[in-house]
Amino acid sequence: MRVLAVVPAFNEEQCLFATVDMLVQACPDVDCLIVNDGSRDRTAQVARRCAARVANLPVNTGLTSALKTGMKYAQRHGYDAVVQFDADGQHLPRYIPQLAAALEEGGAHVAIASRYLDGSVRPTGARGAGSRLITLLIRITTGAVITDPTSGMRMYDRQMIRLFAQGFDCAPEPDTIALVAREQGAVVEIQASMRERQGGESYLKLGNVLKYMARTCLSIIMLRFLR
Amino acid sequence: MLPLQLRLLLVLGALLAFVVISNRVRRERILVEDAIFWMVLAAVLVVLAIFPQIAVMASQALGFMSASNFVFLAVIVLLFWKAFTNASEISRLKDKVNELAQEIALERLEHEEARAQASEEPREEEDPQGELAR
Repeated sequence: MRVLAVVPAFNEEQCLFATVDMLVQACPDVDCLIVNDGSRDRTAQVARRCAARVANLPVNTGLTSALKTGMKYAQRHGYDAVVQFDADGQHLPRYIPQLAAALEEGGAHVAIASRYLDGSVRPTGARGAGSRLITLLIRITTGAVITDPTSGMRMYDRQMIRLFAQGFDCAPEPDTIALVAREQGAVVEIQASMRERQGGESYLKLGNVLKYMARTCLSIIMLRFLR
Repeated sequence: MLPLQLRLLLVLGALLAFVVISNRVRRERILVEDAIFWMVLAAVLVVLAIFPQIAVMASQALGFMSASNFVFLAVIVLLFWKAFTNASEISRLKDKVNELAQEIALERLEHEEARAQASEEPREEEDPQGELAR
């Protein structure tokens, strides 16, 4: 199974090199593509030093579009799966083979590295409450139980690669997961742990969390009826 | 009946709009196809001011308290419609800009990889000429 790791990077000069280095060391048979999403800092220069392919978007276009760039690359080069991997060092590459195995065994379209699958860690705080609410919404609208819908570490199969590369409005967000989860067994999870981000600014501050939650929940409901 | 003052205001507003829109078109600040909506809107307001019976009849048929209420609501509906079509136009433009950016990035990457292969560099991701730098 040929796996491409897509690392979207926007102003991630601090962590990018260490993250990609860790990824390449841990998974030498996984190809890595850094998508520099029009960063204003030295991300482009840092990326060039990494042992990875680099696609430089000329302007900042957002996470969805950065991932789409990676999906197009994967589709054009015939990859079997794409794993979405954060540049900030939260995600641990040792779960990539497990994700790939979960995809292959289950015949699933999406495999998620879940922090909450075995119940040893409970979602806490504002983000935890939001995560539970999304889990509940997905269960109501699709019947599928997804313990960590906001996990950013997900692996997608060929069908999802095509959807992301060619679709008009496919964000790598819980609403798309909910859309896919309607088909039984299409989304599987594996237990994983994550680190704190290793540097740089997090996008998810409290105000942003509320906005994100409202948008995600409404989007899940709207997609339920419109698509 | 539409109050005379409102009729005069409508005509004056429409005339002002005609001048502004014509100017913009002449100075190439707006495409003619996009200016048409505003020209037609201004023209409709003039027609309403000159023939207030239209507004009166419509307001009676639809049960409005007064003809001016009907005119206001009609204008509000039109503006809502325009705002929404603008939003969807912006969505499409965003999508197009993103697509272009993605294709540029991928194109450069392919170019880079092809060159690295041609020069038989051991590492295809190296970029000695700084081609990726913008």
